[in-house]
Amino acid sequence: MHSFMPLTTVFPGLVWAMAALALVQTARRAALWRVGSAAPVAWLHGLARLPRRYLVDVHHVVARDPYASRMHAVVAGGLLAASLLTALAILPPLAQSRAYWLLVALAFAVTAVGSVLVGARRYPAKQKRLSAGRFQILPFLLLAYAVGGTLTALLLAVGTGGIALPFTLALAAAGGLGLAFEVRQGPMRHAVAGALHLAAHPRPGRFEGRPDTALQPLDLEAPRLGAEMPADFTWNRLLSYDACVSCGRCEIACPAFAAGQPLNPKRLIQDLVAGLNPAEPPYAGNPYPGGREAEGERGPLARLIGPDARIHPDTLWSCTTCRACVEECPMMIEHVDAVVSLRRYQTLERGALPEKAIGPVTELRQSGDAGGRPLPARTDFAAGLDLPLMADRGQADVLLWLGEGAYDLRYGRTLRALVRLLRQANVDFAVLGPEERDTGDLARRLGDEATFQALARENVATLAKYRFARIVTADPHALHALRNEYPAFGGPYTVVHHTAFLLELIRAGRLTPGRLPDLSVTYHDPCYLARYNGETEAPRAVLDAIGLARVEMARSGKRAMCCGGGGGAPVSDIPGERRIPDLRMAQAAETGAGVVAVACPSCTAMLEGVTDRKAEVRDIAELLLQAVEAGR
Amino acid sequence: MKIAVLLSAGRHPVSGAAVLPRLEAQAIRIAVRLGEAFGVLDGGSAPFGLHAGPDAATVADALGQGLARIEHLVLPEGVDPVPALAEHLAATAPDVILAGRRGQGGGESGIVPYALAAALDRPLIADVVSVAPGDEAGTLRLDQSLGRGALRRVVVRGPVVATVHPDAPASLAYAFGRARRGTIVSLEPTAEPVAGPAIPVEERPYRRRPKIVKGAPAGGSAAERLKAATGESGAAASGRLLVDPAPEEAAREILAYLRRVGVVAPDSTRPNS
Ligand code: SF4
Ligand code: SF4
Repeated sequence: MHSFMPLTTVFPGLVWAMAALALVQTARRAALWRVGSAAPVAWLHGLARLPRRYLVDVHHVVARDPYASRMHAVVAGGLLAASLLTALAILPPLAQSRAYWLLVALAFAVTAVGSVLVGARRYPAKQKRLSAGRFQILPFLLLAYAVGGTLTALLLAVGTGGIALPFTLALAAAGGLGLAFEVRQGPMRHAVAGALHLAAHPRPGRFEGRPDTALQPLDLEAPRLGAEMPADFTWNRLLSYDACVSCGRCEIACPAFAAGQPLNPKRLIQDLVAGLNPAEPPYAGNPYPGGREAEGERGPLARLIGPDARIHPDTLWSCTTCRACVEECPMMIEHVDAVVSLRRYQTLERGALPEKAIGPVTELRQSGDAGGRPLPARTDFAAGLDLPLMADRGQADVLLWLGEGAYDLRYGRTLRALVRLLRQANVDFAVLGPEERDTGDLARRLGDEATFQALARENVATLAKYRFARIVTADPHALHALRNEYPAFGGPYTVVHHTAFLLELIRAGRLTPGRLPDLSVTYHDPCYLARYNGETEAPRAVLDAIGLARVEMARSGKRAMCCGGGGGAPVSDIPGERRIPDLRMAQAAETGAGVVAVACPSCTAMLEGVTDRKAEVRDIAELLLQAVEAGR
Repeated sequence: MKIAVLLSAGRHPVSGAAVLPRLEAQAIRIAVRLGEAFGVLDGGSAPFGLHAGPDAATVADALGQGLARIEHLVLPEGVDPVPALAEHLAATAPDVILAGRRGQGGGESGIVPYALAAALDRPLIADVVSVAPGDEAGTLRLDQSLGRGALRRVVVRGPVVATVHPDAPASLAYAFGRARRGTIVSLEPTAEPVAGPAIPVEERPYRRRPKIVKGAPAGGSAAERLKAATGESGAAASGRLLVDPAPEEAAREILAYLRRVGVVAPDSTRPNS
């Protein structure tokens, strides 16, 4: 009896030692986060919401991989429960209770099961998207802690123990202290950084049900514009990159990665981590396509971007800002914000835009259109249609925002269909015509915040002259800028996408489409409508209203794959092994649908540009017009 | 190596906004590359811009497109900039003076660089697309565009004025942060102000010029008459159409064409012809 009495204290003591070690390791890591710049964080609110953010928002993403979800619930739940229960056994009444130790043993046994699940993803062969490196020892540490803990608790429960106890306890200690040690730069960092990141998330709106996707305006008076080195990021962004578990979910969602362009979002985040911390263990996941090795100096003040730096400029300019990575990331990391901060520095401070993007951005700055085309020519697509100008009318129910697509011959067909539908439904609408400037979306995604802000101010001033209830646009990029990004520049507008507006007209009986049952169609979600604005239902409802046979692609809705047209990627034109639109069109072809329905000028242009296309590319407005004409 | 770029107040050809003329932005890129080649990128010896006119705001864009400093000779509206520029350039004596081959949206006389070269007694190399250090010390190698992709290489010794051709590499991107850091130095010219020559201008709305129909066939089918009327029987139609030719024959035809338009030197060394 006497011999195991102290062990009931030593075992809980081990867990307390683990906690202390984890705390020390966290503090050492936190010293690195503190080099970041200041950020406003509502700590109390964030901490209070932490359980909800974890259980609802994180779980929503994790559950897309049911195996990973179950694995994590078992292993993390078991680990937390077992460690907490053991730690509490420091209280003598609990330590004396054999039933209590049985409970502890049970919790450790659950952890052991979870550890086996963790191991099964990595042995005998690791899943392709996972990283190796320190993560490969994680199952062993977990197993040692869990099995050691189970046996120790069992022995304490039955009250024998004797000679075996020191061994089981040593096993638990090896595993447990190893896990705590890994909090600084190993796999267990994700637990601490992930929890803190959830509380201090830079986009808290994500958890309150709003699509918090607008880029944050840059103060153009700031001494340094954008991020050149790790220390230029705010501290909670640095923290967020440390939360990455290297799960590779972002990697398999990334269109640029799939096309063999030199971008891998996981690697990008890991490069930001390794850039901050020179002692970081080497990266052990899939490389950037093209296989460029990391080079250049590291440290909080090291230059991150450059042909000779950690991240090659081509990596930075390959991103289409599609947010697929953000949508899939279980750690709620904001990759696009990182890309745009880095681009802002390159563009604003160094003028280091990709060569092919310089022309369009310069034209945008000088003439209000990326193609340098005359602004009055924007309405040329409507020659022969009656297109009322706001300048003549002064007010209208609906202001129709035409966007850049209006200059495009192919897309002009879509806009003509839309205008005819609006006429048909007797909508009181008008356009800005020559007064409409580009929203500046292209400039903003390419990091040219100065041009974006100048255009935003001009457009806001123009819109202030007229009275209208809503803006309707067929361009999701314009929609996103006007709806989510212009409020920061004094323009709060109600902005409706044309698909939602057309659905409204159908439901109100102002459009009475016939049915087109002979067409089979698959709908391609635009990133800036689905992921940036959460709108996936209206376009489908319009298609259903005209009785089309609708099939879904494997990736659809908020998880759809990008067409390659966003974020200035078409003008930057970074070479890859394949083209993104070809990949997307092939996915559409798998459905066997004869028509790919689109709802965005960029998607139209990208998908129409695919050679050997079997399916037709039609905008929802065009399909609806056909149905309305068939219904007469 | 001192490099000056002449900057003029321009207008965007489509929007009419006050912008730096495109050719001058291209000239800046040439100046920056040349400065890099000579290792004079920073400090007082870096390439600088020079503007003479009432307001430097219109050329301030040059600060974001590669220049760190602009010297502004303040002149009243309507005054001929050449005497002030010549006086200032004679005093500062840059080794290379770069200018656009003509302005954009202003007077567009295209004469200022020539007037300056004459006043400074320097050679003027027109329509360059690149300027680089020559093989011999103290020389410069300039590539002049002859149009249609043809280039002529010129090597000069001593100070030179050069005008830039549109085929030169496109301008550098505008960097807002750099523009913020750049400086504009205002200078009072001492030269007597002389009114600029009044350039007779007449404004007319733009109208596409009708195509001149040459040798329209009197008879012929409707398609032939249409072809003639739309100019389709012009230069483009005068070529030979070869369907599925042998590679050698195709290559010969292409070479012959390139010789005809002067891109490739005439063939004088063929032994048996
Ligand atoms: S936003 Fe899209 S393209 Fe950019 S890294 Fe994420 S998934 Fe890749
Ligand atoms: S960034 Fe997110 S999705 Fe990508 S590997 Fe890290 S945790 Fe996974």
